[in-house]
Amino acid sequence: MQNSISKYTVSFGLSFALASVLNALLVVAKESSHAVQGWMQKLTGHHWVTHCVIIIAAFVFFGLTFAKANGGQGLKIGADSLIKIVVGGVVAGYLIITGFYLIAG
Amino acid sequence: MQADCEVAKKFALAVWILGGVARNNFYHKNNMNEIILMVHVLFGVGCIIAAVWVFVDVLNASESNLSRIKWMSRASAIFMWLAIFFGGYWYVVFYKVDKAIILKGPWPFAHNFFMESKEHLVIMLLLLATYLPVAASNNLAGNKDARRLVLWVAAMVPLLGLMIEGHGAIIAMGVKVALEAGQH
Repeated sequence: MQNSISKYTVSFGLSFALASVLNALLVVAKESSHAVQGWMQKLTGHHWVTHCVIIIAAFVFFGLTFAKANGGQGLKIGADSLIKIVVGGVVAGYLIITGFYLIAG
Repeated sequence: MQADCEVAKKFALAVWILGGVARNNFYHKNNMNEIILMVHVLFGVGCIIAAVWVFVDVLNASESNLSRIKWMSRASAIFMWLAIFFGGYWYVVFYKVDKAIILKGPWPFAHNFFMESKEHLVIMLLLLATYLPVAASNNLAGNKDARRLVLWVAAMVPLLGLMIEGHGAIIAMGVKVALEAGQH
């Protein structure tokens, strides 16, 4: 039985977790700073559209970058660790966003 | 030359205003606000159903259902992209009216907490649904680790999706209670 996971599965899994946390931190940054929100508003006409573009671009960029690491073999990580990182990304992103709006809202 | 430029600018402005008026009339006449919102919800539900399908199929993964798992995971991602496209358009174009109504009503938290968190949690869901076909591209029939990963991802999509659908319901209810409060 083959138990290895493809390099893109690993790299985009890690990228997903990173982008989820980045997404949540960008929420905190733009809601806490009018300058950041104003800049995001100016860039595409709506801060949410800019937010989406930044996070999607980060997901693609980090996914491809991690896949190129290790001389093109991608990052090496076990399935258990990858699952923990992906689930951790969801939980962290969820808690930061809802926690922030519970406190700030 | 400068006069020509001024005429062109005025013409462009007139076209823009008339186009906007025509679009607003079309939207109003055809209830486009509600239709776009329903299409957004429909695709969101489609994403959830496809992810549940993937979860069940992966529990019984074999050579015979690998192709279906891959197609359903792609369907989940495509539905999610369509849901965010229609939802995003509705949010940018129409939501400001609902927001003003909600904030004047008895449930301002429907915007301050539920809409604010929904519009950002949905980005995370978009990435998770996009990641599902990547994770499902491994040989799930012969790879236990890949199967476990896909099960986790496929389980989190409906979980997060249903939570976000719930947020949407509370936002709609926020508009309703505000309108009802305004009538009394």
